[in-house]
Amino acid sequence: MVKIKYLLIGGPVVIIGIFAFFYFFPNEEKKVKKPFHLLSEWVSKSPDENPFTLLQKMKNIGTLFDERCELRAPSQSLSGSYTREEISTYAGSARSHLSQLDLKFYDFHILFPEKEIAKVTLTGRLTGRSGTGEQVDETRELECVLKKIERKWLFSEIEVVEVLKK
Amino acid sequence: MEPTYHSGGVNFCWRLRYLFSEPKRCDVILVRFAGSKVMLLKRMVAQEDEQVEFRNGKLFIDGKEMEEPYVRLPCNWNLTPRRVEKDCVYVIGDNRSMPIDNHHFGQTSKNRIVGVPLW
Repeated sequence: MVKIKYLLIGGPVVIIGIFAFFYFFPNEEKKVKKPFHLLSEWVSKSPDENPFTLLQKMKNIGTLFDERCELRAPSQSLSGSYTREEISTYAGSARSHLSQLDLKFYDFHILFPEKEIAKVTLTGRLTGRSGTGEQVDETRELECVLKKIERKWLFSEIEVVEVLKK
Repeated sequence: MEPTYHSGGVNFCWRLRYLFSEPKRCDVILVRFAGSKVMLLKRMVAQEDEQVEFRNGKLFIDGKEMEEPYVRLPCNWNLTPRRVEKDCVYVIGDNRSMPIDNHHFGQTSKNRIVGVPLW
């Protein structure tokens, strides 16, 4: 009887312990995905966003990037090397033209070619509505390189893959 | 792909369609991005090594005007001739009423073709 009692108490404790371990000590892939989830949260915008939230989000966006981040977009004039501050400013400027914005990431493929470097291929989808009510719906495949700096994964390179070449 | 398929509609993908055959001109195909969660629905208009061109909204393949009964909205596109590279196909949506720069179309690798819509 005593053994069954221990099992009934011990079993759930072990299961909770396993879940807690994975929750509090996520594997490296989960850590790499975190900046994407944060970027998605901070880029997204609701129609009733207040100015304080706007400023906070703009400031936060920069913290996800390395000191300089290389952007490569073959068919657009956005290519170049940008500082955190420039990225925050551009993101804020782009957000200001839209009344509603939603950024989501799908289909993560994560590789670790070197220690403290992650290469992520994924699909990014941006939907929303412009200030004039026009619908925005852009989907792109992205190749990102993230570097682990001071225990945080930061965007170092972002390349827009040309799925359809005109 | 308006008016053939409506934006935001639900469909299923038949992945085995091109297991033993190649996509043919005018087939509606699904083109993948990084994975299978988000895909493009486009019409294949040209095979590898064919030349694609638009003149006043009319599609020309290897200099020959194509009949496109599925294009029902007005189009005034102009696109200089370009040849489809090896192992690629050229895809375009049916809704060509917007400016050419706003339409997502072009050449894509054959290995990005996932299948066809089930209906």
